Amino acid sequence: MTTFDVHVIIENKPGISDPEGETILHDLVLKGNHSAVSKIKTAKMLKFTIKEKDKKSAKITVQKICDELRIYNPMVSKVTIDVFDA
Amino acid sequence: MSLEPQELDDLTSKIGRKPTSTELQIVAAEWSEHCSYKSSKKHLKMLPMKGRLVISEKGYDSGVLDVGDGYVITAHIESHNHPSAVEPYGGAATGVGGVIRDILSAGTRPIAIFDGLRFGDIEKDLQARWLFKNAVTGIADYGNCLGIPTIGGEVEFDECYSNYALVDVAAIGFGKKKNLIKNHAKKGNIVVLLGGSTGRDGIGGSQFASDSLESENRSAVQIPDPFIEKLIIEAILEARDQHLINAMKDLGGGGLSCAVSETADALSIGIEMDVDKVHTRESDMSPEEIMVSESQERMLIVTTDEKLKKLQIICKKFRIACSVIGHVTTNNMMHVKKGKKTCANLPTDVVANAKLLDRPSKKPAYLETIEQEKKLKPVSDYSKMMLKFLASPNIASKIWVYGQYDHEVGIRTVVKPGKDASVLRLDNGKFLSAKIDGNPKHCYINPREGAIGCFEEACRNVVCTGAKPIGMLDHLQFGNPENPEIFWTFLESLKGLTDFAKYFEIPCVGGKVSLYNETPSGPIKPTPLIGILGLIEKTPISSQIISPGDSLMIIGDTKDEMGGSEYFEYIHKFIGGKCPVVNFKESKSNMNIVLELVKNELLKAAHDCSKGGLAVAISELCMTHKIGCKVSLDKVPGPKLDVDRVLFSESHSRYLLVFEKKNLKKLEDILKKDKISYSVLGKFGGENILFSKSSKPIIDLRVDKAQKTWFNSLRELVVHG
Repeated sequence: MTTFDVHVIIENKPGISDPEGETILHDLVLKGNHSAVSKIKTAKMLKFTIKEKDKKSAKITVQKICDELRIYNPMVSKVTIDVFDA
Repeated sequence: MSLEPQELDDLTSKIGRKPTSTELQIVAAEWSEHCSYKSSKKHLKMLPMKGRLVISEKGYDSGVLDVGDGYVITAHIESHNHPSAVEPYGGAATGVGGVIRDILSAGTRPIAIFDGLRFGDIEKDLQARWLFKNAVTGIADYGNCLGIPTIGGEVEFDECYSNYALVDVAAIGFGKKKNLIKNHAKKGNIVVLLGGSTGRDGIGGSQFASDSLESENRSAVQIPDPFIEKLIIEAILEARDQHLINAMKDLGGGGLSCAVSETADALSIGIEMDVDKVHTRESDMSPEEIMVSESQERMLIVTTDEKLKKLQIICKKFRIACSVIGHVTTNNMMHVKKGKKTCANLPTDVVANAKLLDRPSKKPAYLETIEQEKKLKPVSDYSKMMLKFLASPNIASKIWVYGQYDHEVGIRTVVKPGKDASVLRLDNGKFLSAKIDGNPKHCYINPREGAIGCFEEACRNVVCTGAKPIGMLDHLQFGNPENPEIFWTFLESLKGLTDFAKYFEIPCVGGKVSLYNETPSGPIKPTPLIGILGLIEKTPISSQIISPGDSLMIIGDTKDEMGGSEYFEYIHKFIGGKCPVVNFKESKSNMNIVLELVKNELLKAAHDCSKGGLAVAISELCMTHKIGCKVSLDKVPGPKLDVDRVLFSESHSRYLLVFEKKNLKKLEDILKKDKISYSVLGKFGGENILFSKSSKPIIDLRVDKAQKTWFNSLRELVVHG
């Protein structure tokens, strides 16, 4: 068994509005004259440290945990899972 | 989303050509059950809508009542059931947002929110618990951010809502009569879209709400943004004060399609608009998507060229977007263009008025046998049972829910949630009392009597604060209306409500119909919900301390009406029996007498007797006032019944009154004059809630222990499972 760091990024699906990101863009970044920025999206990241036999099963286990415990709502959120060596 | 084949034929023959794809989408949204009320509209006309205090104007999304001295209140009720069932946080929050904009569009400031929530069995069902928890948080976050108090509502759990949610939201507005928006428009006026940007969220929402919920059909999700809503409220009210608004409509189900066609139809005008002028969130949206998007926090405003500048200054000040999307014409057409190209050009009366249906109805087969009772296992220890009962989700205190809501912001709330009805202070020295009530368990057994019961219960609740009911909101929630048996239950409930409203002269000032409430395991129980607005001319009943020696009286008969009671359903897991029936005459005299007693300041407290029956109602009085009570069940008025029936029957028209012993004579003089059925049941004092029959104790509970259980159990269940 090896220890892995698994990063789970939860964000609103494309096309679904993101008031927090829009507020940061309009009321902070664009006001500060950074006109090159066109979009900001907010997301939540969970960092798991997990013992598994390989990267693939680490990813599957974490995905399963998130699904079972309703850590995100599949109707609203897009989930990206990345696995790194700890 | 699409039209039924016969609807497509109907549309084609009405416009004399094949509709374009944009036209199809617009009409499909507007002709959906959700927007058109095509199954219910013919029948809803039976409800009395006029009254001495009712102000009706064309194009209002909310009911308006005159409360005197130049002031009005507005009220509206909405549901967000389908969206909340898939995304409870956003669904419930955007439900609040929608109903608030309905209040705003009459030109009044929203001052209170109510919510009625229904979910599956949270004791066993984790999904129901998840829905419940998130819907409550959604309402709390949205209402609290807006600075509008959420002052009441109700929460109920029943297996018929498994994997589903009923989220009903009502709002109340207050303002000056002279500030009401008198919707009008004439040729050359301009049409402005104000607020949040239009995106792909909620596309097809109204169609979605008009279909049964199937697992794969879960696409429409709306994201709440209470801060934009707050800015919209302030911007609109400022524009109202500067007389910049000729007509106004909130964008809800069906998005622009519905708002544009309904505004044009209500005001007998045409509107020409350009989808390229709509401020969108994404650049590649098609005209169809823009027309039916249900993005939240948007308002449609009709104004003039001269006023536009001022309106734009206000919008700039509040940093909300506003785009001129079109202008008013006289040809009664809804003309949608993209740049120079015409995407849709339809007569507004065709779009806004779907063909109304005469759906067949048939008495459901299950009703033939539902009133038969089965032999129940006798309860061996009522004290133990009672403690379990007080901890059950439907009976337990809902403090975990309303404790999350800011119910005092705005400093109008003089009677807070947790009592029979909440009371708001109005600027003219009067008070407004309001409550919403539903009872699907009764309505399942008898849709007519059950609906009347909800109506009466809501009236009882406001009467207990000393308020006279002046208006009613109804929200009729049923399963698929294409099923004749379900449609029958809808009609029966509606007829019952109509009879009661006419007898009591309480006009229906607003309402909503929500059909197709179906879960994977079948239709929900009939769930009509009634909101009552009551007016207190002078002072509401003030909360007083109940002291040892004070007396407890009951008004009204306790009858053998156990069907749909919490006792049958929660303790015995039995659905059946006869549900409570309201005797109109008795109901009216009991209501009037309680109002008279409150007015004469003879009462320390008045409490309605409903869910869980006499035993629960008396315990609630004891637990909230932290005092014991000795109750003799021999004295309960009504036919001779077994002890469990006396304790737990949910008969209507009953009130518990607490008064100082020295006032008994005065009370009796008034009660006897009107031949009211009443009895002094017991005396407050000590540390135990004690029910006895023929001097034998039946229930004996320590108040502090009962209070702790009742107060904390819902929270424990939600937080710790």
